Amino acid sequence: MSKDIESQMRAALRAVAPSEEFTQKLVANVTSRLPAPPKPRRFAAGLRPLAWWFSASLAASVVLAVGVHQHLQQQRLQQSGLEARREVLEALRVTSQKLNLAYEAVKSQSTSLTDAQSGA
Amino acid sequence: MRQCISLWLFALLAPALALAAPNPKLAIPSFSALAQKATESVTITLDPGLLGLAAKFLDSNDPQDAATKEVLKGLQGIYVRSYTFDKDSAYQQSDIDAVRSQLAAPGWNRLVETRSRKTHADVDIYIMVDHNQAVGLALIASEPRQFTIVNIVGAIDLDKLHKLEGQFGVPKLDIDPSKGTPAPSK
Repeated sequence: MSKDIESQMRAALRAVAPSEEFTQKLVANVTSRLPAPPKPRRFAAGLRPLAWWFSASLAASVVLAVGVHQHLQQQRLQQSGLEARREVLEALRVTSQKLNLAYEAVKSQSTSLTDAQSGA
Repeated sequence: MRQCISLWLFALLAPALALAAPNPKLAIPSFSALAQKATESVTITLDPGLLGLAAKFLDSNDPQDAATKEVLKGLQGIYVRSYTFDKDSAYQQSDIDAVRSQLAAPGWNRLVETRSRKTHADVDIYIMVDHNQAVGLALIASEPRQFTIVNIVGAIDLDKLHKLEGQFGVPKLDIDPSKGTPAPSK
């Protein structure tokens, strides 16, 4: 008798593979009860315009910095060029002034020589 | 192998040859003491780089600038020192002698030497000629209250210098370009 009960119980408690329907229901139930996953995409989507603005402003800053640097360099070069030009003209002015001095001396010497020759 | 030896020999001899070649660039002293005493001083140091830069800023459409540009083409340097004092004999002759002694070196020829009793102005113009080409010019002008040293280094084209006549007050010196010396005065 007891053996019958025992065998009945064993038979009743044996491992039985669940039916396909049960599995599907269970999975559906578990899935519906799962907490909502975090929304990183929404967060990233919120950041996206910010990142875009950051990139754009960084690029604009770089372009601006390069532009300003080039402008300053150009300005410096122009200043140096104009200064060099002024110095060249000044050097030629001083040189010609002294050449004139020599020329006047040579001219006055030759004039006095001519006068002396004509006087003699 | 021969080429290699030639190259080595050239590399060894090049500095010696460079030293032996006449140098049209004068070693101009700083004259710092004189600059302090001077009422007016002009210090111009134009190396090839600055001359090239200056040439870029000369307007080819302007006759004076165009002539200057032509003159600058062969030049490698322009060095000017000029000091003006408010009283006579503010500088010593020895100050200038340091430069004048360099002009006794081979290669330099005195082109003009003037001594004026009236103005007490002495002007010496020296030129260095290499292969019938003026490669350097030095001018020393000493007046009672002023002295000036000018050193122009490079291929000085006297024809182009002629074109400057009348500009910057450059007088007609009657320089014969073929000889690099002044023609006899008429």
